[in-house]
Amino acid sequence: MNPSKTFNTQSAPHIPNNNTVAKVMLTVWLALIPAMIAHVFFFGTGIIIQLTLSIVFALGFEAMSLKLLNKPIKLFLKDYSAFVTGLLFALCISPVAPWWVSFIGMFFAIVVAKHLFGGLGQNIFNPAMVGFAVVLISFPQSMSIWLAPHEISPYAMSFLENLQAIFLNQFPASITFDTLTQATPLDSIKTGISQGFSQSEISSQPLFGDFGGLGWEWIANFYFLGGLFLIYKRIITWRVPAAVILTTIAFSLPFNIYDADHFIGPIQHLFSGGLMLAAFFIATDPTSGCSSHKGQLIFGAGVAIMIVLVREFGNFPDGVAFGVLLMNMAAPLIDKLTIPKAFGQQADE
Amino acid sequence: MVNNSNQINANHLHSFSGGLKLKHHKNDSLQNGLSRLTLPEKLYISLRINRGNIAKPIVNIGDRVLKGQIIAKPDTANGSYIHASSSGTVTAIEERTTASPDADISTVIEISTDGKDEWIKLIENNILEKIKTCTARNIIDAIHDGGLVGLGGAGFPTHLKYKSKDNEVHSIIDTLIINGAECEPYITCDEQLMIDYPDDLINGTLLLMKASGASQAVLAIEDQVGGIKTRLEHILKLRQIEKIVVIKVPTIYPAGGEKQLIKVLTGQEVPSGGLPLDLGIIVQNVGTIKALSDFVSRGQPLVERVVTVAGDCIGKAQNFITAIGTPINHLLQQAQCDFDATQRLVIGGPMMGYAMPDAAIGIDKTSNCILALSAKNTQQHGETMPCIRCGECVNVCPAELLPQQLHWYINGGNLEKAREHHLFDCIECGACAWVCPSQIKLVDYYRYAKSELKYLDYKREKSDIAQNRHEQREDRLLRLKNERAAKRKRTRRRSNDPDKMKLDLQATLDRVNAAKKSKTDNREQMNESK
Repeated sequence: MNPSKTFNTQSAPHIPNNNTVAKVMLTVWLALIPAMIAHVFFFGTGIIIQLTLSIVFALGFEAMSLKLLNKPIKLFLKDYSAFVTGLLFALCISPVAPWWVSFIGMFFAIVVAKHLFGGLGQNIFNPAMVGFAVVLISFPQSMSIWLAPHEISPYAMSFLENLQAIFLNQFPASITFDTLTQATPLDSIKTGISQGFSQSEISSQPLFGDFGGLGWEWIANFYFLGGLFLIYKRIITWRVPAAVILTTIAFSLPFNIYDADHFIGPIQHLFSGGLMLAAFFIATDPTSGCSSHKGQLIFGAGVAIMIVLVREFGNFPDGVAFGVLLMNMAAPLIDKLTIPKAFGQQADE
Repeated sequence: MVNNSNQINANHLHSFSGGLKLKHHKNDSLQNGLSRLTLPEKLYISLRINRGNIAKPIVNIGDRVLKGQIIAKPDTANGSYIHASSSGTVTAIEERTTASPDADISTVIEISTDGKDEWIKLIENNILEKIKTCTARNIIDAIHDGGLVGLGGAGFPTHLKYKSKDNEVHSIIDTLIINGAECEPYITCDEQLMIDYPDDLINGTLLLMKASGASQAVLAIEDQVGGIKTRLEHILKLRQIEKIVVIKVPTIYPAGGEKQLIKVLTGQEVPSGGLPLDLGIIVQNVGTIKALSDFVSRGQPLVERVVTVAGDCIGKAQNFITAIGTPINHLLQQAQCDFDATQRLVIGGPMMGYAMPDAAIGIDKTSNCILALSAKNTQQHGETMPCIRCGECVNVCPAELLPQQLHWYINGGNLEKAREHHLFDCIECGACAWVCPSQIKLVDYYRYAKSELKYLDYKREKSDIAQNRHEQREDRLLRLKNERAAKRKRTRRRSNDPDKMKLDLQATLDRVNAAKKSKTDNREQMNESK
């Protein structure tokens, strides 16, 4: 025994918990794996290439920004936040989008939306959605070309053919471009309605499944399951997803009842496009969202209302990015107006 | 406003929001039971009572003191006595590190023990008789004389709790809550007391009910605790005491926090900035009650307490009856501590305790637990990451605050904003810092902001006083000036009246002549005397 030994005097708490930002991010990744597998199943291996591209670009821009800003590179790369940004971005774009889409998207996501605003935890806007909105507005053509789900596609592209499509913009010669690719279900609805077709006529096309788009609805199911896993792991709370889903139903239902031919039904809304992904993985981004519990409900509701409005009345087929970004802007104000009553405070204060 | 009907029903408990489920680590020390620690060669008795309250020594170096003798008295009404915890000689009175929050430096009396452990003359009483005959005043005096402070942590002098603002006995208390919910991991000293001294506990509770005027008492324990409830209820039944009930509360950290415990039992929230008193409740720690019982029945003041020694570097974790002032070293040795492996030495629990810089520090009345933790079992704060606002701290905060928002405000120097977000309702339980994935030492930020704001308030108060004084002075000068002006005006008005003027003039002339005359007379007298 050494009686004069001195000890570490850090402040409490003393026992370890070992929760880290990296663990949070990796759990998000884990929760996305089933949806990714479903994506590969329905739309082929293109998504794997897109994921790889986005993640590589995301990490590259992250490292570059950190270096330029003189921040510790290794420490921040290990938090996996850029990795998750890349992941979410890739899941939003077409599996055969050209390679430069993710390059530009990630530049705006990581360099502009994240690091120019101060880096991890300081971004006002969700980086993946900023990247996605930029490419969506700039290259609507490239963004709207989707593959047909394999059940109705006459041809399954091999991995190599996917690579050729993404990097060289060369599609298999043996089959026409139009049969290979297909508009997204939401796109088809938008064009269908503008051409005078009714909702039921449109959704009887082979592109549609039981609730939403064929294939899409399954991916949405897996996003839902992954989201439940995140709630179980306490990475997110139920508030934002519940607000998004319930508001979507509540807000779209009156339109649908009023005129079922021209307005999308609530179920179709939920299982199409990026809504499920947004509800559980994007609108739940804590950094750019609301922190008070009441604020989270308002935030989720706002996202859902924007999505429905864009889909029904806007020029773009889907409104996930716009809904999230708009609410990101409103988040600080919402937080300010929804400071919760603390323990022992009078409720009317 | 006092609600005089705190309804407490074991079948209808409430809950507080947030909280954590932690590993208990309680069996390690409980399985080895309670034993009396051998007397150390030297006792280091800290004169720090609680924050800002330090007693003044009334003994000198070289004095022989007896166990139980008062060696320091408070110099304000907000203090309590400090007694020698064994017999021996005072060998030093100096400033040293104490076992207090942040290892404060404070006056310490060092006693070299003589091994006789000789008591002062003790007055024994039949406690059951006492319970029947004594008045509330008697008990409060006993609490004062016994040097009792809250043994649960803060060390608040107990007698102050039982007096109202005008120094009277309370008339608004209906419920006494005995806090046996040791919610922090490892600590078992209260549970050990409840196991070994159930009768003392009940006697002490009866005394405090009398002192407070409470009509009911609730002994709250955590539901992970074993057979204590059955045993206590058995004794209560035998003694036909119905006004004390034992209630198990869910084991969620920090269920033993005063405000949280009241919420769980009564469903009421102590108002922000208020006290349990505002709800007609007094909360008292188990250890304090045992100490009161000891003093009333045997005349022994608070000179020893039960201390849990535990942690993964302790060979034999155990509860020890320990003399106040016993150096941590001595306790660690008895508990077979592996000093080389110990990386952190904590006084108190792992969530709110304070790391001590070395082991040559004497325990004080509030030291409920000593933890020796290895690096493996300690929160290692590597690199703190920025806050990602994940909100997990919001989910666990028992005070229903927005910890991450507070952190942003404090980090940005916007302390007033933090106050607006109810910073002062933070109980510093550490739940937020524990769950934080960015490993931000959140509680440190809150402590800093609180003390900074208190300082700013103090400064503002002082400058307000100064400004007030300045304004009053200005007012006074103005008033005097006006009064003078008015007076001058009055004289001038008088001088407009010619008759009066003549009279005034005559009077003045008379006065001048008289003065002249007396002057000349004086001079003549002086010349004569020359």
